[in-house]
Amino acid sequence: MNGTELLLDPTGLDGSADESFLAPRPVSLRGLTLGLLDNTKPNATQLLNEIAALLQEKHGVATAKLYTKDYFGTPVKDELLRQVVDEVDIVVTAVGDCGSCSAATVADGILLERAGIPTVSIVSDSFNMSGRAMASVQGFPGFDFHAVPHPVASLDGEQIRERAEQALPQILRILGVES
Amino acid sequence: MNQAIHEPAVDTALQQFRDMMAADGYLLSWYTVDDTSVTVKIDATADACADCLVPKPVMEAIMNQALAKTPYRLNDVILPASEH
Repeated sequence: MNGTELLLDPTGLDGSADESFLAPRPVSLRGLTLGLLDNTKPNATQLLNEIAALLQEKHGVATAKLYTKDYFGTPVKDELLRQVVDEVDIVVTAVGDCGSCSAATVADGILLERAGIPTVSIVSDSFNMSGRAMASVQGFPGFDFHAVPHPVASLDGEQIRERAEQALPQILRILGVES
Repeated sequence: MNQAIHEPAVDTALQQFRDMMAADGYLLSWYTVDDTSVTVKIDATADACADCLVPKPVMEAIMNQALAKTPYRLNDVILPASEH
């Protein structure tokens, strides 16, 4: 071992940190490819899959692709970010139900928006403050994300489905399409 | 000299953040450094989620914003020993 180590910036800041604009919004979701960015927190996959099913069934999303971060507490790594940007049209990312992961989930949304992908970041309402603060740290204080009721991790399948249904109008609003 | 004083405005300003930290198993306390600044201290409970701690720059952003409504400004945030 050569004594060096890789330090990850928990804020995900880079040279584009002063850009506070959203990616262009689609006219509709029909035929689009949806990216699901899973931060590995309990029930994140289930929540994202329920949201994907609703968007496919009710709003014409063509396909959904699941991507999994290797660590929930820091923003998505560049390699995965580039892959997502190359392969999908819109993204939903979840779930920020702790301090670090809510901040990282919002940072992921901002990184994707700056890369041109309309994105909905989902946190739990207990950590709304952390997400909002990360948006400010990222230079995008008005970044719009959605807070679902806390907790998420302890919910069963039916409750997750209800969370997804409740979240759908806000997801559509953030993506810029009519519900 | 550091002082543990009763300052309702600071308690009120930091209450929401205290609740958020508690959800991850952390305790928030604070003390005044002088007449215009406070230091915030975060301690881990036995149930604390080590990977869940809010990044320090985000913590500072939250507390600076919260304290803006009080006569005090943030001096420093002291994290649990393992996070230094």
